Amino acid sequence: MGVQKDRVKFNVGGRVMETTSTTLANAGRNSMFGAMFDENWNLITNTESERFIDRNPDCFGVLLDLLRTGELHVPPNIPEKLLYREALYYGLLDHVRAAKWGPFDGNRLRLSCSMQGQAPGDGTAIRAGPDGGCCVAHGSMVHVYDWMLEEHPPLNLDYQRVNDVGWVDSDNVVIGVSERLGRGDGGMGLFSSHTGELRYKFHVCHENQVKSYTAGALSFSSDYKIFSSCKGRSNEYGVGVWDQVTGKQIDFFYEPLGWSLGDADKLQWLEGSNCLLVATMFPRKDNCYISLLDFREKRMVWCWSDVGAPFAVDEKRVRDAIAMEDNSSICVVNEFEDLGFMDLRSSAATSIRWSSRSRLMKGKMPEEPCYPKLALHAGQLFSSMNDCISVFCGPEWVLTSRLRRSYGGSICDFSIGGDRLFALHSEENVFDIWETPTPPII
Amino acid sequence: MSDQKKNFRLEEFKHREGIDPDKTWTMLEHAIHEIYNQNISGLSYEVLYRNAYNMVLHKFGDKLYSGLVETMTARLKEIARSLEATQGGSFLEEMNKKWNDHNKALKMIREIMMYMDRIYIPHAGKTPVDQLGLNLWRENVIYSNQISTRLLNALLELVYGERTGEVINRGLFRNITKMLMDLGPSVYGQEFETQFLLVSAEFYQAESQKLIECCACGDFLKIAESRMKQEIDRVSYYLDPMTEKKITNVVEKVMIENNLLILIHMDSGLVSMLCNDKYEDLGRMYKLFRRVANGLFKIYEVMTSHIKESGKQLVMDRDRLKDPVEFVERLLDEKEKYEKIINLAFNKDKFFQNALKSSFEYFINLNPHSPEFISLFVDAMLRQGLKGVSEDDIEITLDKVMMLFRYLQEKDEFESYYKRHLAKRLLYGKTVSDDVERSFIVKLRTECGYQFTSKLEGMFTDMKTSRDTMQGFYTSHPKLRDGPTLTVQVLTAEVWPTQSIVTCNLPAEMSELCEKFQSYYLGMHMGRKLSWQTDMGTADLKATFGKGQKHQLNVSTYQMCVLMLFNNADRLSYKEIEQATKIPSSNLKSCLQSLALVKKRNVLRKEPMSKDVGEDDAFFVNDKFRSKLYKVKIGTVVAQKESEPEKLETRKRVEEDRKPLIEATIVRIMKSRKLLDHNNLVAEVTKQLQSRFLPNPTAVKKHIESLIEREFLERDARDRKMYRYLY
Repeated sequence: MGVQKDRVKFNVGGRVMETTSTTLANAGRNSMFGAMFDENWNLITNTESERFIDRNPDCFGVLLDLLRTGELHVPPNIPEKLLYREALYYGLLDHVRAAKWGPFDGNRLRLSCSMQGQAPGDGTAIRAGPDGGCCVAHGSMVHVYDWMLEEHPPLNLDYQRVNDVGWVDSDNVVIGVSERLGRGDGGMGLFSSHTGELRYKFHVCHENQVKSYTAGALSFSSDYKIFSSCKGRSNEYGVGVWDQVTGKQIDFFYEPLGWSLGDADKLQWLEGSNCLLVATMFPRKDNCYISLLDFREKRMVWCWSDVGAPFAVDEKRVRDAIAMEDNSSICVVNEFEDLGFMDLRSSAATSIRWSSRSRLMKGKMPEEPCYPKLALHAGQLFSSMNDCISVFCGPEWVLTSRLRRSYGGSICDFSIGGDRLFALHSEENVFDIWETPTPPII
Repeated sequence: MSDQKKNFRLEEFKHREGIDPDKTWTMLEHAIHEIYNQNISGLSYEVLYRNAYNMVLHKFGDKLYSGLVETMTARLKEIARSLEATQGGSFLEEMNKKWNDHNKALKMIREIMMYMDRIYIPHAGKTPVDQLGLNLWRENVIYSNQISTRLLNALLELVYGERTGEVINRGLFRNITKMLMDLGPSVYGQEFETQFLLVSAEFYQAESQKLIECCACGDFLKIAESRMKQEIDRVSYYLDPMTEKKITNVVEKVMIENNLLILIHMDSGLVSMLCNDKYEDLGRMYKLFRRVANGLFKIYEVMTSHIKESGKQLVMDRDRLKDPVEFVERLLDEKEKYEKIINLAFNKDKFFQNALKSSFEYFINLNPHSPEFISLFVDAMLRQGLKGVSEDDIEITLDKVMMLFRYLQEKDEFESYYKRHLAKRLLYGKTVSDDVERSFIVKLRTECGYQFTSKLEGMFTDMKTSRDTMQGFYTSHPKLRDGPTLTVQVLTAEVWPTQSIVTCNLPAEMSELCEKFQSYYLGMHMGRKLSWQTDMGTADLKATFGKGQKHQLNVSTYQMCVLMLFNNADRLSYKEIEQATKIPSSNLKSCLQSLALVKKRNVLRKEPMSKDVGEDDAFFVNDKFRSKLYKVKIGTVVAQKESEPEKLETRKRVEEDRKPLIEATIVRIMKSRKLLDHNNLVAEVTKQLQSRFLPNPTAVKKHIESLIEREFLERDARDRKMYRYLY
């Protein structure tokens, strides 16, 4: 073994620690260590002399360990907030975030923590951000939390009811709100997630006239388009399309007669087939309408509705729908959390193939039920019902895991993103954060 | 313990006052100056970073940021002043050095202010430090009035120097352009590119003016090409790649486009290059001209009119018209010449291939003899062309002839000539190779369709059937083998170009034989009619002359008839011969001429000895006839080319053949369209018949009228220009 030449000695707040410049190089150019060993500053290199840093030595030790191994171990005596502050000082905050939890797997989720929000219950929606943060919509307010679960200034929509929220990127959220009668406002706006300021307001034009509208459900495509279901004042119902970069409206799909697009509860952009799933469900409308829109040809390429379908005594009404492109099917769920499947390959589905999975729920309905919601992530299907979330896997969609936490009542909405799952409860303003632990050492 | 008490002086407690912002900033400001002074030995990165951090943490980000802007601006103003003061040629070097220094300092400042960059700047919506450094350099250094012009002039001077052959520091130039590009896309354009393009245009304007006056076209193009390459190299060495298109556009426009017509029309221009086969110069012209609007089109125009003009001279030249073979050979040469130019210099461009085609179509059809001559050329090829030439070469030549054929408008006229020439070849046994004959017919068929060649192919069939028939005849008449041998070729009347002629009297031996054959043939084929074409055919006669010389004479049927008369007489007058043979007088005259007046072939003698055959002449057997050869071929004095009346005859026949074709076409079109106006109908007819010939609009009109009369069509009651098809 030769003599190690790249040793570096630090004196951090009085404690001397030694490491190598190789370890520090893991911090990257955009950190304090990256600059410290830049040749411009390093003219006075002297391996013997120590470098003094006037910071907390315990935290430095944890971060140094992170740089050495890529793993984060926080001793119980160090508050997380303190560690985050120190990491921010060195420019290592992104390293900490990446090491804090592992890649998402629905079957290995652990409850990380529960957050008690400010608002008194009745949340509308929760949306996971791309870097582990989230936002929660209540009435006309949207609360934004970063990945450290620090709350940022809330977004105040001035008494306009929020219908849907979506993250454009980690710095920006889009909010769709209802128009208030006689006020001519409403619509869709882009807000800074850090400061809460309104950055841009999206307009809808009909026949070259800007109209006020109610923005319903939102969806985003990877080629920087925003979709929103829209209800205009003078029956201009349909789905609008905007460019994220220019902010201009680029398209509008008008609602055909006898169908529902403008009231849609759910939009889902399908990258593979270049189509948009639009679903309007009971109780928003008396009937359920699900369709796939092709904007290039302005055509409904697939549609299904339960109009005219006879309902049995134990009626099965579709409460949520999600397209699964890999399986060329649409999954729907009813109020008893029965899953149903429809084939996307024929241009119009005739019937739903219900999987008679469980009737166990029957008779155990809570007093104030929350309707089931669906989500799809990396081949795993998630369905929320009452106070738990079920995870289904495999070609037969077998129930493989169930996430449950009784505190806070039924789950009214949940969202997956940034390798985390957020579940919002309806009775009290509480949301849970579920994470996948980092993989085991051996 | 108490005496060991240290003397601490506690400062008065200030609420939320973590740091002294002024003191901290002064320290950072000092550090920024030292960084610009390149004197960092006294600085500690950790300390500076912590201080900058503290200012942001304690909400003095504004102060830090504005302080940075202020300090950096001041330093840059200083740099600008020192640059303005630089003397002479070292300006660019100095600028480059200062720019590098600034970048290095900027990097270090950003490293100190990293926390501000990450936390304060995004929230306050300010410009990040990197970009700020570029912006301040741009505003304070580059946009300083003096520096801006000086920089531009220095750069343009370097370019001028390089264009006139000096060696310049390309690396330095590249660094400066890179700086301008780093400062934003518009800076490079404003500060350099726009002016550069203007100055370049002036430079090349002057240069091409000078060159035009003293250079030949080829040399000019050579220089333009090398200039173009130099500019492309220049861009790749030290300019923005986006400039390439712009500067080449300038060179194209100034050197080529502005001088387009001068270059083409100068004495050493396009026509001279074409005449002298200057492939290299032409190739260069093509490559350069294609870059400018209309460039190739101008070449196209001049080239087309040149080919048309020279072609016209070629086909209208009276001397050339004497020899059809030479005429066609000249055409082929001409075509080959231009094909070579297009292949070698014009990149096989379809555009020019079309030019060639249209020009040839134009001038070949100027000469009404073209169809006949081309057919004669093929005839010559197929009669004797095979000597020493391989079949492959003949194929190649025939392919070329087919190209010429394609240019012909009157293809049916060619067909008619070809038929006649082929008939002669077949009947006189002159075809050298059956394969070549057939292969040419296959070519015609692929070009014009089955209809066009069916008659020609029928001729070959007749030849074959005749051979079989003759064999059958002699097998069924074994006794006849001892007498004279008769070979009959039975020709289908509509397939062959036969004329009804007056049959002559055959010698008794022959006519007996003929009758036998006739009865044999008609016995075989009921309902057919045979008529004898005595103007064709040949005969081999054995003759013994006065001193016992024996010869075999190869003569035509008419000549045979005449000579056979001398078996029984020594002297015969013209009148007697005419009466005995009943050969039409014009044929008889040429026949006697060839027997009596051709040197070394004169088996007869004539009295008086004049050049022409008169009605009062008398003929004797020439006893003194001698020849080295046993077999003597007595030719017929016939012009190869058609005589004028014959030509009119052919013409008439061709016209006659066209009539049903035109009418059939009109009816076919009207049947599918039902209603069509006159102009469109004529256009459609012309289009459909183009592969055979170009119908004359008046002729078409005449046929339409005739069809109206015969109630195939009618005029529309409301619109007289419209025709309606009648079922």
